Amino acid sequence: MKDDNKQPPKGTWLQIAKAVFWAFFGVRKQSDLDSDASSLTPAQVIIGGLIGAALFVMSLIIVVKIVT
Amino acid sequence: MNVTEANSVVLRKLLIFTVIMFGFGFALVPFYEKICEVTGLNNLLQADTLTENTQVDTARWVTVELDANTHGLPWQFKPLQSSVRVHPGELTQVVYEVRNNSDREINGQAIPSYSPQLLGKYLKKLECFCFSKQVLKPREVRQMPVQFLIEPGLPDDINTVTISYTFFELGNDNTVSLDISASQL
Amino acid sequence: MAAVHDHDIAHAHDHHPTGLMRWLTSTNHKDIGTMYLWFSFIMFLTGGVMALTIRAELFQPGLQIVNPEFFNQLTTMHGLVMIFGAIMPAFVGFANWQVPMMIGAPDMAFARMNNWSFWLLPPAALLLLGSFFAPGGAPAGGWTIYPPLSVQMGMGMDMAIFAIHILGASSIMGSINIITTILNMRAPGMTLMKMPMFVWTWLITAYLLVLVMPVLAGAVTMLLTDRNFGTNFFNAAGGGDPVMFQHIFWFFGHPEVYIMILPAFGIVSEIIPTFSRKPLFGYSSMVYATASIAILSCIVWAHHMFTAGMPVTGQLFFMYATMLIAVPTGVKVFNWTATMWRGSMSFETPMLFAIGFIFLFTLGGFSGVVCAIVPIDIQVQDTYYVIAHFHYVLVSGALFAIFGGAYYWLPKWTGHMYDETLGKWHFWLSMFFFNLAFFVQHFLGLAGMPRRIPDYALQFADFNMISTIGAFGFGLSQLLFLYVVLKCIRGGAKSPAKSWEGATSLEWTLPSPPPYHSFETPPVIR
Repeated sequence: MKDDNKQPPKGTWLQIAKAVFWAFFGVRKQSDLDSDASSLTPAQVIIGGLIGAALFVMSLIIVVKIVT
Repeated sequence: MNVTEANSVVLRKLLIFTVIMFGFGFALVPFYEKICEVTGLNNLLQADTLTENTQVDTARWVTVELDANTHGLPWQFKPLQSSVRVHPGELTQVVYEVRNNSDREINGQAIPSYSPQLLGKYLKKLECFCFSKQVLKPREVRQMPVQFLIEPGLPDDINTVTISYTFFELGNDNTVSLDISASQL
Repeated sequence: MAAVHDHDIAHAHDHHPTGLMRWLTSTNHKDIGTMYLWFSFIMFLTGGVMALTIRAELFQPGLQIVNPEFFNQLTTMHGLVMIFGAIMPAFVGFANWQVPMMIGAPDMAFARMNNWSFWLLPPAALLLLGSFFAPGGAPAGGWTIYPPLSVQMGMGMDMAIFAIHILGASSIMGSINIITTILNMRAPGMTLMKMPMFVWTWLITAYLLVLVMPVLAGAVTMLLTDRNFGTNFFNAAGGGDPVMFQHIFWFFGHPEVYIMILPAFGIVSEIIPTFSRKPLFGYSSMVYATASIAILSCIVWAHHMFTAGMPVTGQLFFMYATMLIAVPTGVKVFNWTATMWRGSMSFETPMLFAIGFIFLFTLGGFSGVVCAIVPIDIQVQDTYYVIAHFHYVLVSGALFAIFGGAYYWLPKWTGHMYDETLGKWHFWLSMFFFNLAFFVQHFLGLAGMPRRIPDYALQFADFNMISTIGAFGFGLSQLLFLYVVLKCIRGGAKSPAKSWEGATSLEWTLPSPPPYHSFETPPVIR
């Protein structure tokens, strides 16, 4: 039904990374959100989120390795 | 694409996803076993190998108490000596005896348990009857060795440890029939 | 958010059946929502009676009322009934009523499947409760159904396993329906980022449900085959591992606790702006924080198992990950507080419950962070401290949000205002007795009283007595809620279309009560 994403996605990797980072923190500016919503596709966000989660897990493991 | 078609596309995707996740639940089983194997957390059925020559710490004694239990099967199970004194790093052999008191052939599997829990990390078993299932003919008596050493890394404040084995019955299809009715619980 | 739409006129050609058949065959999201809510309330009272029996037994040391076997069955069944029977169906009921009206859809995407997913619940509930009458009684090994106990129990366990299967299937179907409705059925102009927060939280919750419910189904299926078909997934003697069940169970179980709280966040995020007469502060942050919580919830499960035997690296990893979840949750709490800041607030019953929610849920969240710290958790594991912690997040969290949501939307659903005085009484009685019942349990836990025991040492007697008094007060206060709801259904002051001055979302553009078929012509969102 929704075919309004016809225009090619303009989201760059940097923008995805930023969106995912702020998503993990849970804070996002309204203006940034608007630009995210217009330029990022769900697939990009999901892949970005998974990569972000993997990085998060790895960084935690590194921290744990350092302290033990 | 009208709404009904779009809906059934989403429905199909989500159903496939659900089935995948159901399978994922089962895939966690080999995954878990693999992790345990890699990290060496849960190798109850494999003999340990000694990688280097362990130094025997002759200045130190550790008392190893031997314990034996059966769980719901008509076997008599006991160690031949109730405890041994060993030096850390010294290869020791102890013998357990098991007797089938019934008139049928029974398969049993022994499950080890250590006290303190920490011992698991320092106990290396080169040979154990617990590595495989034991099949006892009616009235059969069997003596079974355990060959182990305790690594010298065992913390200094631990002077007495307990190694315990519990025999569980394996059915013919390798199942344990824990004959406990709810009223007994 | 304003909407223009054609007023839906009752359809002259609408011949839906009446009486019992209306409810049995209904595919209407409002009917099904109502049934979900009543079902969950009945299960809430059932689980509540179990809880009160537990508390009555614990009123004094020694065994007075029930024997230990039955006590264990009660604690187990109280957990299962409240989680799978009361809290989860209540939120699905809210979703059924509200999601289509809030996004301007005529109904749920799959109306027949919706009917099916509700009508799976009563048989599942009968199966679950019927296990009390099975030989050996109901499951008694705790709601987490850990092996080896759950492998050894009588056939009541099999009945519970089947009940969990059916309830899981119902949840999955409900979630698929909700996801599809939200993704495909939004009115023109209702972009994802214009959706009300409640719809957002439910979208994310539904994804979590289809992610983890099948895993639970797999776990209990393995239990079932271990029990009946000779497999050895969890049997140490046969080469299995009981700890593996705990890992698989909590892979489901931890996201499950967020499944039970995210819709509550959504409801509170609707109520607070309405009664503060300000838009929700940091709407986008709230969306992102919800997503963040959902993702993080999948990687912290083993903090339920710190004492089950785990390398120290594992303990530290799960401890850090768990403590970091508090960050997005904290963002939400600050956003709600900031929404109230300098708002022209009024304190009707829904707002009271929402503020009570923020206050007490934060307390429960903090005790959660305390439990996340490994050395402390090893101390308080399986004590009343844990009981106090999760009742603060589930009763004063999820349940208070459900009450708040019910009061908030009752005028919309019934067309009548509820009795405000009685509603406030209900809140203050619940608030007082809830804290009486559960705050002291923190002390009991820190003093070392274990959970799931029918008898206890004498030094715990005073706090247990206080807790029991609080529990009975809380339980009886809920009858007041029943009375208020029934009174509201039967009559009362007419509610205007917009029952609350500060309400903005789409459902308030419909008359109260909304017509049986609403938004058949989609509204246009400007």
